Amino acid sequence: MYAWLYRHLPGPRRLRPALAAVLVLAVVALLMLVIFPAVEAVLPTSKVAVGS
Amino acid sequence: MTDASSAPAAKDEQEDPTGGPSPVGIPVPGVPADAAAARAAPAPDADADAPTVLALVVPAPALGASGGPGGPEGDAGAGGKEGMPGAGLGGRRRLLAGRLARGLGELLITAGILVALFLAYQLWVTDLFAARTQDHLHHQLVEQWNRPPPAPRPPAAGHARPAVPPVPLGDGVAILRVPRFGPDYAPVVVQGVSVADLRRGPGHIPGTAMPGQLGNFVVSGHRTTYGKPFNRLDELKVGDPLVVEVRDRYYTYRVTATEVVLPNRVDVIDPVPKHPGVAPTRQLITLTTCHPKFSASHRLIVYGELADTRPKFAGLPPALRGE
Repeated sequence: MYAWLYRHLPGPRRLRPALAAVLVLAVVALLMLVIFPAVEAVLPTSKVAVGS
Repeated sequence: MTDASSAPAAKDEQEDPTGGPSPVGIPVPGVPADAAAARAAPAPDADADAPTVLALVVPAPALGASGGPGGPEGDAGAGGKEGMPGAGLGGRRRLLAGRLARGLGELLITAGILVALFLAYQLWVTDLFAARTQDHLHHQLVEQWNRPPPAPRPPAAGHARPAVPPVPLGDGVAILRVPRFGPDYAPVVVQGVSVADLRRGPGHIPGTAMPGQLGNFVVSGHRTTYGKPFNRLDELKVGDPLVVEVRDRYYTYRVTATEVVLPNRVDVIDPVPKHPGVAPTRQLITLTTCHPKFSASHRLIVYGELADTRPKFAGLPPALRGE
């Protein structure tokens, strides 16, 4: 999967590691800023007040 | 070691200019040769042959494994097809199984990385977010306190007392200081206990008393995430001061009791805790958080009662002067 993705990255061979790093960072940012906050809201650790 | 690491590099260089299936000659014969060697191995004097067999077998997987994620997988695939006439149906099946196994492995590794990232997010990244927000809230609150207070509106028709403008949800209400948690502990309590409010800081439950008012000032806060403001609530002992700083004064509450209850015990936030419907006669504080840590099975409740009110011009209350 990852090998396939890497082989299909556009651009000259020398730029591909940088492009791959940028892609990884973008995915991590999406997780940290959008997906994890949404997931966390339904997880029990965010329940601190009383009430059902 | 040096063999294994230098071989794929050399292979990469070769493959770059040609780009064709020329380097295929190196790994592909490895598969059948491998199998052939394995079949030939138990022949006559196996003991003497063993080292040679090892030498034959080991380099092939080593090449394949180290060349894996870098990209030459395509070459292996192409090579596989070229080698097919020789390898037959079994080789094709082996190739497919290998691809499936690799795909499954990558999925599992991805899942593991996702879980690790989520843990890092919960334990550290949320702290960074909360620290930034708290910084901002702190400045905002102090700035607001330094401006003259908004004049209370004249009593509306039908209301006996002048209405104090309510604090907007998510805005700072007060600064909480707990000497037992150290001199740097000073989270800004915000109005509201929605998910978004609690990400900003400990939240004052709307509808419960404001600091210093008759009734119960109830604050809920995160235990393990978003700055962990109530992480050490279980360390509080009866008599510990909880200082609530508002615009013009410090309210010093003293802890009267600590309790662990089930999450459905909404009566702990009553004006008189656990006495629903009873009119309050004292100024109380109640702090709630989850318990045990990282769980939502129970709630940790800390009760306190107002012991001292000191205007700011009279200086810090004794509890904050280390007395």
